Amino acid sequence: MTTKTSLLKVILLGDGGVGKSSLMNRYVTNKFDAHLFHTIGVEFLNKELEVDGHQVTLQIWDTAGQERFRSLRTPFYRGSDCCLLTFSVDDSQSFINLGNWKKEFIYYADVKEPEKFPFVVLGNKLDVTERQVSTEEAQQWCQENGDYPYYETSAKDATNVAVAFEEAVRRVLALDERTDHLIPTDTVKLHRKPRSATTCCS
Amino acid sequence: MAELLQTESRRCLYFFLYDGSKVKGEGDATREGICYFYPEETPLDRQELLCGQLAGVSRCVSELSFSPVRVLRLRRNKFAICMKDDFLWALGCSADVPTVSICQLLDQLIDLFCFYNGSVRQSYQLHSSEALAARWARYLSYLQSGSSQLHHVFSCVRTIDSTNVDPLLLLKAALILQACQRCPLVSAGCILFRGRVVSTQMFPELTMKVMVHESETYTKALRPGAPTTSSPFGGTVSSTTVFLTPAELQYLRSAPVDRDFSSHPAPHRGTPTRTRLSRTLSDMPSSESDRSDPGSFSPHLSDSSVFSPGPSQAAADPPQFSNGKQEADEEEAALDESHYLSFTNGDGSALEERLNGDGDAAGGTTFEQPHVDNEEADRGGAPPLPLPPPPPPHSDPDDTPLIPMTLYLHRVKGLVLALLAEPHFLSNSAAMEEVYHSSLASLNGLEAHLRTVSPGVPGPPGPYMFAHFDCVQSTMTTNLSGGAGGAAERPFVRATSLLHSHFCNTETLQEAIIRSAAAAVYGTRSPAQETFFQQSGSLRNSGIPNHQDSAFTLPGKARHRLLKHGVNLL
Repeated sequence: MTTKTSLLKVILLGDGGVGKSSLMNRYVTNKFDAHLFHTIGVEFLNKELEVDGHQVTLQIWDTAGQERFRSLRTPFYRGSDCCLLTFSVDDSQSFINLGNWKKEFIYYADVKEPEKFPFVVLGNKLDVTERQVSTEEAQQWCQENGDYPYYETSAKDATNVAVAFEEAVRRVLALDERTDHLIPTDTVKLHRKPRSATTCCS
Repeated sequence: MAELLQTESRRCLYFFLYDGSKVKGEGDATREGICYFYPEETPLDRQELLCGQLAGVSRCVSELSFSPVRVLRLRRNKFAICMKDDFLWALGCSADVPTVSICQLLDQLIDLFCFYNGSVRQSYQLHSSEALAARWARYLSYLQSGSSQLHHVFSCVRTIDSTNVDPLLLLKAALILQACQRCPLVSAGCILFRGRVVSTQMFPELTMKVMVHESETYTKALRPGAPTTSSPFGGTVSSTTVFLTPAELQYLRSAPVDRDFSSHPAPHRGTPTRTRLSRTLSDMPSSESDRSDPGSFSPHLSDSSVFSPGPSQAAADPPQFSNGKQEADEEEAALDESHYLSFTNGDGSALEERLNGDGDAAGGTTFEQPHVDNEEADRGGAPPLPLPPPPPPHSDPDDTPLIPMTLYLHRVKGLVLALLAEPHFLSNSAAMEEVYHSSLASLNGLEAHLRTVSPGVPGPPGPYMFAHFDCVQSTMTTNLSGGAGGAAERPFVRATSLLHSHFCNTETLQEAIIRSAAAAVYGTRSPAQETFFQQSGSLRNSGIPNHQDSAFTLPGKARHRLLKHGVNLL
């Protein structure tokens, strides 16, 4: 397993302007541009990394948050291994919309078992002083919606960005390992609780 | 001559380049002057016959008439002729090809060669004629390949079928190009997908030239000479030196975005405004409109995204030298951009171009000056030195020196980003990395989008055929199948090419109907477009002019039918 390089597709979803493109750019190229234009449709970058001895190529798909780009982005949800639900801590509406993003993803990605699918929640723009969403609120939402890991990030000053993406990889790898141990028939169904949330900001 | 091949698939039956300077004396063999001959398998004595005769006739006629020969018409064939210095090019095709098309093809071919190789004279001094023959052959085959006969008639740029593509993706492509221009070394670019234009900031002639290299990079190995192609970007980035005329460069820089960032790089370097992506919308300088015709360059997005420009006057005027005065102005303006000459290609080819082009006027002093510049450039980042005096204005545009630029290509599978940049862009790894990283994610995404666009299913042949040619963008919209063309389409294509010829020859002609016993084709044109329309089905035709003749309903039908194709004839 350790020598094999696997391609993992993770997708960033969330309202327009919460910083999805910035998160991707910060993580892959370690750059930040405060004047990025709206993403149109989808974009992606690859990054190779090693997590817990696993060599993986992370393919990070960045999507357009604006409603008018919906038809362009939704065809690319399929095949995602992990979904990063992103909001901005200085924009409560973007937090409220997380549920809609999750629904949209599950619908268009055609996820068979939504309760098992690895979501990670990111509260971006930690560097902004006027918060509208408290850490507790966000953690509570994650707890209630499926025990998702929650990270508070700042693409601007690179806080927690790498940690969040690596957690996404761990989530996927953990899920893969579980399915690897399955007997390859469809008759066995394992019900297992998702891993407990790992938060870093509490 | 009687056995000339009449192959429909080939536009060009004969093509040759003949160097008259090699054949001066009585004893000189004609074959000495033949630089390239197509088809290459033609026996040498036949090559000599054709070259000798055509060169003789051309020279004789042009000396008698004091006017350069452009076309020689024979009974079944015609030859487009181009004479420059001692060189003579001739391109022969079947007589029913419109004269304007074959002349365009010859000009394209010569322009292509000069774009990738610099001046012809110098190329033949530097390279073996075998190597150059391969290049002529490649350009010729490129220009003849691919598109439909209709595309050949109009010499159009091949574009993606935008009816199947979300317009937002075209916007995305235009934005990628604008983002690349944040780097002051980048003049303009275009984005191609599977050999077709998605978006371009260049004028059509230049876009077409760039596309040739794109098609080559599929097979061509990376150039070993290019220093930065290997390291951080893998095999996806390549580059080559290209040569632009001062007029072409001036035209590129006349776009507001270039005047702002490329023409005066030194004072702008490192200014924070450059981090703005939408700078053509928000960062437009209003003070720099020192052009004689500022109205042509309104600060709109469409100006730098040529894919959907309004019928601007700037675009309607191709960058050609129309008279000596304008030429002098353009040349001087181009030479104001001092860094053109400050950074030659390292081997001094630029200034040899100059020498070659300027002839006696340039002399040794101009040779010295740019040489110093070149060393400055190698040390890196030095401000441009004072210029050598600009060459005197020429009456012949062919004498103008060609300016080396870098053509940078970044390929993501079927998608290619092509940028024209200053020659020292390649040695500036910071600039290259910035351009590479700022566009990579978007290119990946655009490629993914375009790949999933289902190719337009060619529907059943409709009740009508049409072809709409946009003269400004050099693009074609048609509902023909696009391939070799079925039997039903052939009369339409013939009629269209005939009408196109008439429109070209008769400037005041605006509408025409051309008809046979079985069919009628309607053509209409304005300065910005030509449109051709044929209604299928039987034609009611009494044989004599009759107001009930269904041919006369064609203009109305065309107006009505073509609206849904986005063609407005009202």
